[in-house]
Amino acid sequence: MVDYPLDLLALQVFAGLALGAVYVLLALGLSLIFGMLGVVNFAHGALFALGAYVGVFLLGTGWNFWAALVAVPLAVGAAGLLVERFLVRPLYGRPVDDPLLLTFGLAYVVVEAIRIVFGKQPEPVETPELLAGAVFIGVGYFPLYRVFLIGVAALVVLALWLLLERTRWGLILRAGARDPTILRVLGVDVGRVWLLVFGLGTGLAGLAGWLAAPLQGAAPEMGVPVLAEAFVVTVVGGMGSLLGAVVAGLLVGVTYSMTSLLAPEMAKVSIFALMAVVLLLRPQGLFGRPGGLMA
Amino acid sequence: MSGTAAPTRARLPGLAPLAEWGMRHRVFGTWLALAALPLLLPSTALATSVVAYGLYALGFNLLFGWGGLLSFGHAALLGGGAYATGIAIAHYGAPWWAAIGVAPVAGAGVAFLMGVLAVRTRGIYFAMVTLALSQCAYHVAYQAVGWTGGENGLRGVNLREVALPFGMVLDGLDPRVRYGLVAVAAGLAVAAVSRVLDSPFGAALAALRENEARARACGYDVRAVRLLAFVLSGAVCGLAGGLLAIHLSVVPVETMHYATSGLAVMLAILGGMHSFFGPFAGAAAFLLLESAVARWTEHWPLVAGTVFMLCVLFFREGIWGTLVGWLRR
Amino acid sequence: MTAGGAALRAEGLGKSFGGFRALSGVSAEFRAGLLTSVIGPNGAGKSTFFNLLTGAFPPSEGRILFGGRDITGLPQHRFARLGIAKSFQITAVFPRLSVAENVRVAAQALVSRLDFWSHRARLRGLEERSAALLARVGLSHRARRAAGELAHGEQRALEVAMALAADPALLLLDEPTAGMSPEETRGFMDLARALAGERTVVLVEHKMKLVMGISDRVLVLHHGELLAEGTPAEIRADERVRRVYLGQRA
Repeated sequence: MVDYPLDLLALQVFAGLALGAVYVLLALGLSLIFGMLGVVNFAHGALFALGAYVGVFLLGTGWNFWAALVAVPLAVGAAGLLVERFLVRPLYGRPVDDPLLLTFGLAYVVVEAIRIVFGKQPEPVETPELLAGAVFIGVGYFPLYRVFLIGVAALVVLALWLLLERTRWGLILRAGARDPTILRVLGVDVGRVWLLVFGLGTGLAGLAGWLAAPLQGAAPEMGVPVLAEAFVVTVVGGMGSLLGAVVAGLLVGVTYSMTSLLAPEMAKVSIFALMAVVLLLRPQGLFGRPGGLMA
Repeated sequence: MSGTAAPTRARLPGLAPLAEWGMRHRVFGTWLALAALPLLLPSTALATSVVAYGLYALGFNLLFGWGGLLSFGHAALLGGGAYATGIAIAHYGAPWWAAIGVAPVAGAGVAFLMGVLAVRTRGIYFAMVTLALSQCAYHVAYQAVGWTGGENGLRGVNLREVALPFGMVLDGLDPRVRYGLVAVAAGLAVAAVSRVLDSPFGAALAALRENEARARACGYDVRAVRLLAFVLSGAVCGLAGGLLAIHLSVVPVETMHYATSGLAVMLAILGGMHSFFGPFAGAAAFLLLESAVARWTEHWPLVAGTVFMLCVLFFREGIWGTLVGWLRR
Repeated sequence: MTAGGAALRAEGLGKSFGGFRALSGVSAEFRAGLLTSVIGPNGAGKSTFFNLLTGAFPPSEGRILFGGRDITGLPQHRFARLGIAKSFQITAVFPRLSVAENVRVAAQALVSRLDFWSHRARLRGLEERSAALLARVGLSHRARRAAGELAHGEQRALEVAMALAADPALLLLDEPTAGMSPEETRGFMDLARALAGERTVVLVEHKMKLVMGISDRVLVLHHGELLAEGTPAEIRADERVRRVYLGQRA
């Protein structure tokens, strides 16, 4: 194997963290929804794509990147509210596969709707001027936008942590994740909590989509590989664990980034190999609780 | 049947016994459908597609409907069989029986590799892990250009002749010959699946679906039963893939794609996952609807996704399951 | 099997969940052919003890010996195949299978599990065996119904038939009469007593009064430890047990 200079490797790790930041946002949304509602949102990838396209649309009507950064998660989150209220809610109390199947069907509809409105061709998305260029990070120059990505993900994680640990709402969420009946006893409207959690989770998916757009552009089917990768992150981190989502998201990002430097042809497969190893050695995931979903 | 159902029966004389007959003779009934299909559908090619995809959905449903395990990775099994047959014909010029024979073996082999990991999980986790593993298989197929043709697909899967005993040789390019070949192979596979469902293993699989903890306490090794179910499902789906390769003369890399995994789920739900013939009916309905909608719009997935969601919300037994339930009422 | 020898022996059995010690240092033996009851107030560790004895999860410490053989840590389906059968605290049947098929598939687990090519009806004796077991627990008239349609008490009876299907040397029942009517409970206790004549029976029960009349031996758990062991008469006379159950309707 060729010897790689240390600073190149360090930069590659950093690139992996930036990629991982997108995974973290996606997996947090998936895990939030699963942890509270017990629903795996198969439309998560499609909503990721929707986020990118809502941003593209807003840019087209004269908005700038920053305004879109605020509006996109709100818009996709609002779409999520509608989905929970009218499509997922009728399925509570049915077998666990049913909401999963429904969101799987929904993904087809969302992706095709995107194709109808925006066409099949990918749309390039420019990096905002303020974040163009590179910045020196000690070991070398690194694209500023990627530093920004890591920063946004860190902020979201911090905000989520404050929400869960320091607010009354967070107390309700943590109690409800363990046992929804506690909430009913306390007189909390569980349906409303679930609605908002679904909105929050899908909003994060939309945010991730818009943040990823300057890196890879927007394409209707961009959500498919992302869905599989987000599942890998969730399996590695442990289903329903937010800490697991953060650590595994970064780990998967770095794994991908390092193999694409050292053995490019193995890059896409490497993260699945990582998942396989975790499944064999610690099937509940790095931060998951044993039992439950394991046979 | 209770006496209260009498008015319904009077309205539909003879149909309830027909449904009963179909359930008792599910293999023979399916053979009749295979024989009649080319006469009912507008083209032989469409009939061949229906049979190949119907078999794919049937193999998927062995795991889903009968075993209670929802896999989102069956594209890798279909693709494994399709590439095996395709490579046998395109690279080695194998005769028809060998080319078809390797397909279920390859499907079962891929299923074993995936299953060893996937059966360690259950429920929604199983769906996620199988999806991820098939995505991995997709990348492998995409990059193994020398074997699979990569992005361009494996071309030149041309079965020119079908040599039978006593010197009989059929023209492999004749659509009717292809339909016959596909239908006979599928018919045998259907009989095999029916036999598996009637076996002691089939009983164990149903028990596991109904109550895993109970089955374990009875002495069933949950992982072993599930792994075998996955491998058998892989053999059936692999065969379907091989037949599809012969039918289409090409193996596109999309055979391995997530959408193909999703297709199996759609077909089984659309037709009815709790009935033996449901997945076949689902394949027929899906492909017919697709060709009809294609005349009006190119946005078929919008229609497919909507119909699928309606099925999940309101017609959980699917077309065939609802029909049979209605006839037997 | 001769009555009196140890069928199942627990040696220093303990279990912790995270930091919580649910059970510690429990040594006890269950003698062959006898009916031994495990009692104790809520939270005494009965369910944990039961789950360890049936192999649902492995102990944190200690050993489990079955007929002299160390079976600690074997997977649960191996426990079942060795002849240790159990009923669940929460009713567990195969709801959409017929009552007869519930028992048949339970019996099948010992003779055929992964044979996917022969016909299940060809397995000799299984159908007769399940019919006989259904008759024994009084469910013959329900044989063709789906198990999920049965009344609660009937499902508990079906569970016993399923546990017996494997002809186990050891039968463990976890609060089998929970949710039963007084009449059903009485019938069930008679059945448990009759079963003890032919195999070793372990009954985990919350209500002390229920088991005193039918048990050969009684173990009392309290705060995750073995408090007392003896014949029902000895247990009734035990000062510590009385204190634990004081204020409770024993």
